[in-house]
Amino acid sequence: MEQWVVVTIIIAAYLALTLTIGLLAGRRQTDSVAGYVAADRSFGLLVMYFVTGASVFSAFAFLGGPGWAYSRGAAAFYILAYGALGMAPFYWIGPRVAKLGRKHGFVTQAQLITGRFPSRNLSALIALLSLIAFVPYVTLQMRGAGIVIEAVTDGHVPIWLGSAVAYGIVIAYVLSAGAMAVGWTNTFQGIFMVVIAWSLGLYLPIALYGGIGEMFTQILAERPELLDPPGLTAAGEPWSWGAYSTFILVSAVGLMMWPHLFMKAFTAKDDDTLRRTVILFPTFQLFLIPVFLIGFSGVLFPGSPPSSDFILPFMILETDLPALVVGLFCAGALSASMSTGDALLHASASVFVEDGIQQFVDLDEQTQRRMMQGLVLLTGAIAYVFAQDPESSLVLLLASAYGIIAQFAPPVVAALYWRRATTRGVMAGLIAGAATAFFFWQNPEYKPFDMHEGILGLLVHVPVLMAVSWMTESQSDDHVDTFFD
Amino acid sequence: MNLRTARALAGVYHLAMLYFVTWPGILPFARAEPLLFGLPFTMAWIAAWITGSVLVLASLDRVEKRFRNSDGGDA
Repeated sequence: MEQWVVVTIIIAAYLALTLTIGLLAGRRQTDSVAGYVAADRSFGLLVMYFVTGASVFSAFAFLGGPGWAYSRGAAAFYILAYGALGMAPFYWIGPRVAKLGRKHGFVTQAQLITGRFPSRNLSALIALLSLIAFVPYVTLQMRGAGIVIEAVTDGHVPIWLGSAVAYGIVIAYVLSAGAMAVGWTNTFQGIFMVVIAWSLGLYLPIALYGGIGEMFTQILAERPELLDPPGLTAAGEPWSWGAYSTFILVSAVGLMMWPHLFMKAFTAKDDDTLRRTVILFPTFQLFLIPVFLIGFSGVLFPGSPPSSDFILPFMILETDLPALVVGLFCAGALSASMSTGDALLHASASVFVEDGIQQFVDLDEQTQRRMMQGLVLLTGAIAYVFAQDPESSLVLLLASAYGIIAQFAPPVVAALYWRRATTRGVMAGLIAGAATAFFFWQNPEYKPFDMHEGILGLLVHVPVLMAVSWMTESQSDDHVDTFFD
Repeated sequence: MNLRTARALAGVYHLAMLYFVTWPGILPFARAEPLLFGLPFTMAWIAAWITGSVLVLASLDRVEKRFRNSDGGDA
C-alpha cells in the first residue's frame, strides 16, 4: 500500500474517533441554553487545563509557529513570549468574573460588560466585533486543517475538500452537544498534541543534524541573520523592535479577551480549578519550543514547501518515518486546528445570539438554541469561503484579529475595577479604539514606530473611555455595589 | 509571607517579565549566542521567564490558599 493511503486511513480513523467522543459527550448534558453555552459549569481541572491549552494552541501555533521559525527566524519568539503574560492577570480576574457570573447568571463576556454598563447597543456592538474577529480566526483553523490534509495525501485531497471534511465533523459535534463536546474532544486532542509536538520536535533536529545545539550552530554559520533578534519580516528584511514588542503586547492583552477563552471563567467548576489552570498554563506555552524546533529543522533542509505554513507536514513527510507515525503526527496537527475551531464556532454563535439578537427580540430557550446552531453553520460557511484564498498567512490572520479583540480589555477592566466608569464612556472608548485599529490596519504606512494597530487603538481607547466617563454622570451606588464587595 | 506581599511580588515578577522580553529590556539579551541548552540565547531567555512564571504563580497559590482556609474570608 502506498504511504499516502495508509496516512489517509489513519487520519480518517482519528477523525471518526473525535466525532464519537464529541457526540457521546453531549449525552451527559442538560438540554438548556446554559448547558449548551457553559456546560452546566461542571468542568474539573483536567478538562479545564486541556480545554484552555488546546483552544489556545491552534493551527496558528502548530503550523504558523513552525512556519514563522522557518521563514522569519527569531521573529517567532514573540509567540513564545506573550502567552504567560496574557494569562497571568486571569489569576485574579478569572475568579472575580466567575463569582459575578454565578451571582448575576452571566454566561458570556458581553453580559458581564453590559451587566455593569446596561445598553443594548453596547451589547450588539460587542457581539458584532467578536464576530468580525472570529471569522479570520476560524478561517485560519480551516485553512490549517486543509493544508495538513492536502500535504499528507500527496495532493489527492485538495485544501477545499480537506477543510470541508474536517470542519464538517467539527460542526456536527458542536451542533449536537455544545460546550460539553468541545470540552471532551479538546482534552483528547490536547493530550495528543503535546505528545506529538515533543516527540517530533526532539526527533527531527537529532535525526537531521545530530542534536539541537548542533542544528543551531549550523544555522548560525549559514543563515546568521535568521537568529538575530527580532528576526525577519515576511520579505526577509530585519523586523523592527516596535513591531516585535507591540505584537507581544497586543497578544498578551487580547489573549484572555477572546470570548471563547473568557467564557472558561463561566465553565469552571470552582475558583481553585480556574486558578490552577492559570498556574499550569505556561507549561502549555513551553510546548512551543519543540514546535519551533520543527520549523528550524527545515531551514537548512534541501527542498522547500510551497508556502512556509506547510513546513510541518513537509518535514514530517520528508523523514523516513513509518507511515503509521506520519499519520499520527498529522492527526496531531489536525487536532490543533479542530480543537480551536470548535471552541471558536461555539463561542461566536453563543455570543451573537445571546448578546446580539436576544437584546432586541425576546426568544424562548429552544429558539435560541436553534439560532445558535444556525449561526455555527453560517460562521463556518463564511470562514470556509475565506479559507480557500491561497494568499493568506496563518500568523498574520490571527495577528489582525487580535487588534480588534484587545479592545475588549478596557471595558472588562473598567467593569470589574473602576467604579466611576460609565456606559457612555465605555461605548465611546470601544468605538474610538476599534476605529483607530481599523484605520491603521488599512493604512499601515502611517503607523508610528511600526506599532501593531491594536496597541494604537488602545492608546486612543483608554483616554477616551476615561475622559467620557468623567464627563458623564456616574452610575448609582446601588448598581455599582452589586459588582463590588 | 502575607497575602499582600505575595500578590505584589507576583505582579512585579510579571511586569519585570514584560519589560525583559520586549524592547528595551530585551536588548542586552537579544542575541543568538551563546547557545543555552542548545537553544539560541533569546529563546532560552524567554523560556526561562515562562518557567519562572509557573513557579511564581504556584507559590502565590499556596499562600492564597492558606489565607482562604484560615479566615474563610474572600481573599
